[in-house]
Amino acid sequence: MSSPSIPNDRAFPGPGSELEVRWRTSRHARRLLTLALAGVFVATLARRPEFAGLAAPALLLLAAGQGQRRLARLRVKVRASAGRAFEGEVVAVDVAADVGSRADDFAVRWTLHPGREIDPVGATDADGRTTRFTVTPQHWGRRELGTVDVMLRDRWRLTEGHATVSLPRVDCYPAPAQQRELVVLRRLPNRLGEHPARTAGEGIEFAGVREYVPGDRQRSINWPASTRRGRLQVNTFAAERSQDVVLIADATSDVGEPGSSALDLALRGVAAAARAYTDARDRVGVVTYQWGTASWLPPGLGRRQVYRIIDSMLASDAGWARGASVYRLPRAALPPGALVVVFSPLLNQRLVETLRELRERGFAMLVVDVLNAEPPNRPRVADRMARRIWRMEQDAIRFSLRELGISVVHWDGVQSLDLPLAGHTRRPLAAPGTRR
Amino acid sequence: MTRAAAVLLGAVGVAWAAVPLPGTGAAGFALFIAICAVAAGALRLALAGVPLPENSFLLPAPLRAWIRFLEILRLLPWEEAAVLAIVWLEVQHPARPWHTAVLGAVLVAYLLAVHLAESGAPPRALRPQARVLAAGAVLLALGAAAGMLPATGPGPASALLRLVAAVALIAAAGLVLPSML
Repeated sequence: MSSPSIPNDRAFPGPGSELEVRWRTSRHARRLLTLALAGVFVATLARRPEFAGLAAPALLLLAAGQGQRRLARLRVKVRASAGRAFEGEVVAVDVAADVGSRADDFAVRWTLHPGREIDPVGATDADGRTTRFTVTPQHWGRRELGTVDVMLRDRWRLTEGHATVSLPRVDCYPAPAQQRELVVLRRLPNRLGEHPARTAGEGIEFAGVREYVPGDRQRSINWPASTRRGRLQVNTFAAERSQDVVLIADATSDVGEPGSSALDLALRGVAAAARAYTDARDRVGVVTYQWGTASWLPPGLGRRQVYRIIDSMLASDAGWARGASVYRLPRAALPPGALVVVFSPLLNQRLVETLRELRERGFAMLVVDVLNAEPPNRPRVADRMARRIWRMEQDAIRFSLRELGISVVHWDGVQSLDLPLAGHTRRPLAAPGTRR
Repeated sequence: MTRAAAVLLGAVGVAWAAVPLPGTGAAGFALFIAICAVAAGALRLALAGVPLPENSFLLPAPLRAWIRFLEILRLLPWEEAAVLAIVWLEVQHPARPWHTAVLGAVLVAYLLAVHLAESGAPPRALRPQARVLAAGAVLLALGAAAGMLPATGPGPASALLRLVAAVALIAAAGLVLPSML
C-alpha cells in the first residue's frame, strides 16, 4: 500500500464542472421559525407581551438572513491522484469549489459517498473550499469512486444549497501475488535474454572448461586448470536466452468466496506471473478465455506490458469478449515454442479440451489450479454422493492432464506462487517430444 | 462539546419552564413531551455519526429494527417539539416576564447549540450573527419590560394594547435592524 502523492499546486488544472445549486431552508431556520411563531401565537392569544419578546431574537435572525443573495451555479473541480490503482492502494481525491468573490458569504461542506467496493480511508465529511478525501478500492475492476455532496451554507445558516458532483472512475488492478522464481523452458529460442541456456555462449553463468583454441579470449583462460593439465584451458559460459510466455486466464467460472474466488486468484496469479517474467526480460502475452472465445494480447516486453495485460483482462471483464475462438488464435497470440501457464479452476470442459489440443500442438504447459471451493456439504445421501462424484470428476480431469504431460499445481491464493511452482522452477520444463 | 452544551441547555430550558410545576394535567403532559423531545434530540445528535447500510434487504430483524429506529430518530423534528412543549409549559404559569425572558435566551442558545452540534461547525461560525443576537437580547429585555408595565386600566383592552405595543416595537426593530447590520 502506498501513500498518495499529489503535487501541491495551488490551482487545479481544467475548467471543472458547473453544477446547479438547489437551495432550501435549513433545519436551523425551521426551528427558529417554530420558536418565533410559538412566541407570537402565545403572546397574541394569552395577551402576554413577554412572549413577544421571547419570539424577538428568532424573528430578528430570520429577518436578517432574508437579504442574502443565493448562488445559482457552482463550479467544482475534481482531481484524483491516479487513474489506476491496485487493490488496497490509497487513492486521493481533491475537490475544490469556486465561489468566486463571495467566499466569505458561504461555508462549504463536503460529504463523500463512496462507490461500490470503494472504502473511505479517512473522514467522509470535510469543511472548506478545498479538501481531500482518501479512498481505497477493495476489489479489482473498473470502479466509480462515488459522489460528493456539496452543501453551501449562508453566513446566517438559514438556507442550504445542495449540489452533487460525480468522482472520476479508477481502474483497479488485482493485487499481484508474490512470485520470484520462474519456470523456464528446457529449449529456449535463440534470442538474447537472462535465462542460462544449455548451449555455450557469452553469458555469465559458468558452464565448463575446454581446451584453448586460437581465437579464444585471453581473459577466459582458466589458469589453475591450465597448470594442472599442462595445456591452456578456457572457461566456457552458458548462453543467456529469453523465452515467450503466454498466460491464459480462465474467466469462465467465478466460484468461491468473494475476494478470493477462482477469478480473483486467476487474475492475481496472471498479474504476478506477468510482472515476474517481464522483470526477467521475457516476452509475455495473455489470453483471457471466456466460454470458447478469447481476447488476447501478443507477447511483449517491459513493465508497460504488465499494465497492458491487466488492462486487457479488465476489458474482458466488462462484458462478452469479442475475440477469436481459442482454437484459431493467431501465431502472434501463441508463438510456437512458448511456455503456456494457465490459471484456471478447470471447471470448464471446453477449456480442458483446449489445453489438451495445445499440448498436442507442442506447447510446454503448466496449469495453476485456482479452485478453492467445493459444493456445499449437505447431510442428504444424494447430496453427499453428488459431492463425491464431483470430486472424482475433478480428480479425473487433473489426472488426464497429467497423463498428457501437463503439470497441474494447486494454488490457494494465500501463499506465494513460488511454493506450488517450486517443483518446476528448479529444473527446466520440457516441451513434448524433447528428451529429458 | 457542542453536543453536551445542546443537551445541557435543553435540560435547563425544561427545568426552567417547569419549576414550580403547575398542578394541571396539561402541564404534566407538556413536561413529559418536553423531556421526551429533548432526550430524543440528544440521542439523535449522539447517533448522528452512525451510518445506515445502503442495502437493507435480507437483514436480520434486530438490525432492521435498529435501522428503522435510527430513521425515525433522524426524521422527526424533536427540537421543534421540545420548543413547543417548553413554551406551552411556560404558558401554564402566571405571568413572570423576566423568567420568560431568560427562558427565551436559553431556548435560542439551545437551538444554536443544536445547529452547531449537527453541522459540526465551530462556535466561531456564529460570529457574523453576534450583533443580531445582541439586538435580539435587547428586544427580549424590552418584551419582558413591556410585560412588567402595569395595565392602564382593568379589562382585556388594556392587556391587548400592551401586547400590540410590544409586537409593534419588535416588528419595527426586526425591520430596521437588518439594514443597519
